[in-house]
Amino acid sequence: MLSKFDYVKPKTVEEAVAFLENNPGTRVLAGGTDLIVLLRRNLLITDHILDIKGIEGLHRLDYKEGKGLYIGAAVLVNEISEAPMIQDKYRALSQAAGSLASHQLRNRATLVGNICNASPGADLSTPLLVYNAVVHIEGPEGKRELGIEDFFTGVKKTALKKGEIVTGVSLPDVQEGDSSYYKKQARVKGHDLATVGISIRRTSEQETLMGMAAIAPTPIRLRELEKKLKNRDFNEETANWLKEEIKNHVKPISDVRASLEYRFLVSGALAKKIMMTLMEEGVK
Amino acid sequence: MSEKILEHIGKGYDRKEAQEKVTGQAVYVHDMEVPGMLYAKVLLSPFAHAEIVSIDYSEAEKLKGVKAVVTGKEACQRVGLYMVDKNIMAGKKVRYQGEIVSAVVAESEAVAEEAVTLIKVEYKELPIVHNLDEALEAKVLVHENLHTYEHMKGVFFPKKDSNIASWNRTKKGDIKKGFEEADFIFEDEFSVPAVAHVPMETHVTIAQADPYSDKIKIWSSAQSPFAVRQLLAKSMGIAKGNVNVIVPYVGGGFGGKAGVHLEPLVSVLSKAVHGLPVKLKMTREEEFNILPTRAGMRARFKTGMTKEGKITAMEVYHDWDSGAYADYGVNVGKTAVYSGAGPYAVPNIELHSRTIYTNKVFSTAYRGFGHLETHWAVERHMDIMAQKLNIDPYELRMKNLLRPGDTTISGELIYPTTGDPVACLNAVKNELKWTGRKSQEDRKREMETGKVRGQGFAMLQKAPAMPSYTSTSAIMQMDEDGHVKVMLGAVDFGQGANTIMAQVAAEELRVPMKDVEVVWNVETDKHPYDWNTVASKYTFMGGNAVRKAARNMVQQMKEVAGQVLRCHTDELTHGDGYIYHVHQTHRRISYVKLSMGYAYENGNGIGGPLISHGVYMASGLSNPDPETGQGRPGLVWTFGAHGVDLEVDVETGEVNILKIVSAFDIGKVINKKLVDGQVYGGIVQGVGSALIEGYKFDGEAKLLNPYFGDNRIPSSKDIPDEVKAIYIEEPKTAQVDGPYGARGIGEHPMISVPSAIGNALYEALEINFHRLPLTPENVALAIDKHYNNDESK
Repeated sequence: MLSKFDYVKPKTVEEAVAFLENNPGTRVLAGGTDLIVLLRRNLLITDHILDIKGIEGLHRLDYKEGKGLYIGAAVLVNEISEAPMIQDKYRALSQAAGSLASHQLRNRATLVGNICNASPGADLSTPLLVYNAVVHIEGPEGKRELGIEDFFTGVKKTALKKGEIVTGVSLPDVQEGDSSYYKKQARVKGHDLATVGISIRRTSEQETLMGMAAIAPTPIRLRELEKKLKNRDFNEETANWLKEEIKNHVKPISDVRASLEYRFLVSGALAKKIMMTLMEEGVK
Repeated sequence: MSEKILEHIGKGYDRKEAQEKVTGQAVYVHDMEVPGMLYAKVLLSPFAHAEIVSIDYSEAEKLKGVKAVVTGKEACQRVGLYMVDKNIMAGKKVRYQGEIVSAVVAESEAVAEEAVTLIKVEYKELPIVHNLDEALEAKVLVHENLHTYEHMKGVFFPKKDSNIASWNRTKKGDIKKGFEEADFIFEDEFSVPAVAHVPMETHVTIAQADPYSDKIKIWSSAQSPFAVRQLLAKSMGIAKGNVNVIVPYVGGGFGGKAGVHLEPLVSVLSKAVHGLPVKLKMTREEEFNILPTRAGMRARFKTGMTKEGKITAMEVYHDWDSGAYADYGVNVGKTAVYSGAGPYAVPNIELHSRTIYTNKVFSTAYRGFGHLETHWAVERHMDIMAQKLNIDPYELRMKNLLRPGDTTISGELIYPTTGDPVACLNAVKNELKWTGRKSQEDRKREMETGKVRGQGFAMLQKAPAMPSYTSTSAIMQMDEDGHVKVMLGAVDFGQGANTIMAQVAAEELRVPMKDVEVVWNVETDKHPYDWNTVASKYTFMGGNAVRKAARNMVQQMKEVAGQVLRCHTDELTHGDGYIYHVHQTHRRISYVKLSMGYAYENGNGIGGPLISHGVYMASGLSNPDPETGQGRPGLVWTFGAHGVDLEVDVETGEVNILKIVSAFDIGKVINKKLVDGQVYGGIVQGVGSALIEGYKFDGEAKLLNPYFGDNRIPSSKDIPDEVKAIYIEEPKTAQVDGPYGARGIGEHPMISVPSAIGNALYEALEINFHRLPLTPENVALAIDKHYNNDESK
């Protein structure tokens, strides 16, 4: 590791923002599961690392009826995957959290870190997309909120401006009868990066929301496809139609993890499987 | 006391070192710090094939804490065992991306790492040899002067003006006649990619090279201390006795730590800093990128068959993509000459095994030593021929398996005590409940559910690949309290050799296991010689040596006891810590009283400290004939078979292994816990080769996946749902010259796991796979091509 950096651990968001403003190029450390890899491979050289885990408010994880779910920037992925309330209300999020890397890494990694790293294949991006998550940002100009779809701007790029940090993510409350499911295809059955990741949510009003990862430069909502699903029931015919149709809505590339041909194939396979599973559970 | 009743052999003792390892007390080279020690880091070539025009390390030298910078000019010694084709460090040119071009020694690893970035190397890029076909064209040569390289003459055959490091041949019978006798001729081509060994402990060496003499002291994570000593001494041009190699606990090897690796380089680095100890340890990325792999391989089979399914002739090409160097690679290639057509009786065969240079990370030994690769081809080929002949694949194998009286492809006669492949296949078939191929209707019905099951099986065989004159030795000494210490030259790097050897010693001496200790920390200055800890041969060879040493120690005790008890040694037996008269059992003397020599009541002493030794040398082996490959290279064969029951998701291509059943004619299980460990681990490693692993290179032959993120190996969730191991211990087919009938088992479990899985996938999908790995991607794309694209036409 060639970086020789100072390590700071502020106690408040204000302190953190002030430090970031005064020290351009500072890297934010939450779990470090992406950052340390970059530092070790010397793909990143930095003078300052700012650890946000000392900021008490960022550890907040709660659900309030009518308001929804709030996940602070320092909340661990295992806290999310193990929370019964999230399993109950936001199943795709719980499943995606449970599929991220290994148990040991999930004890370090954070959800906010996963989205700030902005990998096209970010495991936790697709459930946030289908739940219309809101990203809470603080910076020199104050606080602002941004829809998760607008947060991802490119490969490893986000809408964060200089001096800004994400303090948390919130998910609106869900109604009775709302259901979702997450699946990912990987190269091994144990922990691995996603070849393709997908979340499908069916609301109580039978609206369908679909989020996908690793099939475009950023995680995306399949809005056109969602429209086409509007007047369709969830049944085997729809599932088979979806398996083929989805290929018109994704733009995968070939890389060291998978070919574009396989990503097309498996997008359809996973979407169909999710729809069949939801259907078997009584979702219409 | 009957010789047949075994007290310790066959007992599932825990590993002798288990407690030390699980409590974290075991010391590995990674943990070690030597007083005054400095640290090294290396600079790698970014190009696969390039001339080194100049190296400017002036900036690196100026960095505070840097003690020395070394390049290929200083580290120019040759190194090698079979084919001496490599310099310690790249000299005038680099031959693979990842080859070491320079090294820095500094006060800390961090300083060394920073200094490495300050070295400026000017390269002139050369055209790259990417693959076997380009290599065989020989328009570009990886080694211009390979015909001048020192190599084992008459055993390896480099070709001038080519990229062929060695072209080994088998010629038996008359293939022209054999093909004429055939009713059908079948041709197939198969391939496997290069894969990594992935030991938990990466390669690491500490060297201390005395500047005032030729003495070099090495601590290394290595499988073969005596091979390191021999090769290091040869490279440095010094006497072997000047080199002391110490191997403490080793965190896995899998063949990747056979031979010599970092040791010569670190010795040169220590010389460069006036003999201070220097440590160089590989990061995981360096382990993937710098250190050798299992070779990629392409096999082409042409087989003549009668309509009844008897093999009449085979023509085989095994082409090994050995990458930039082929020191160990040529010996892997050589195994195909006697084992590259599977455990079958082939009356007429011409087999070519070519070890070939390309501009990629080079190859070395890997668990299975070429057999996983050759058997992927042979056993898939047998299954495909069975399909085409419409013969059950079990029946086809039964018609052709080697039986006593047959000869192997290299002309070795099979004796009843060579082992029984037929028994292995039958055991697997019965456990799998194989009743023949499934019907088209059943397959179609399953396809509609999205998941299809399939069963398949495959044979395997292997004998140690080693020089015909390989030997080993053991020394044994009894303490004053009757406790016995055993010294060996082989390394227990996880396979359990030391526990097995303790069992052999305890058995022969008739003492409890707690009274035998095999001394760890093998040190060439002190421990007796062993050639190399490789080849699944140590239970056989080491077991024989330890048995002889123990018997000799008993004989020494009997000779002294005979004098004291006034009887002939023939009348004495031993057990429970005593030498005693076979009938008048009260006439006895304890081991303790004999351990340092016996003292009479009046003070007279006779005998002396009990020290014994035993040796074993491979018996009756010969080099294969250079033209025909005929000879006797196989000291001890172990035959086996795998059966697989799997389920494949026809949409995602994911393969789920429900059960693997494996049978081995092991002769005698000395420790079932340890054998199970080898079998389960080997099977999982085989599953890795089958379903997951493989190096990937870009158009510039740069390694694309030099880290775990993209060079995947099986995780705990990839272990088959059920593994059933069957050990055949039939006295009639056991290894009569092995210890208690035992044969080797270390490498065998991973051989043919891919072939059995490939055969089961055919049974599930009616698709023949020819290339590894069978990733979800490769399986799904093949299904799509076979069922969807063809249908739409």
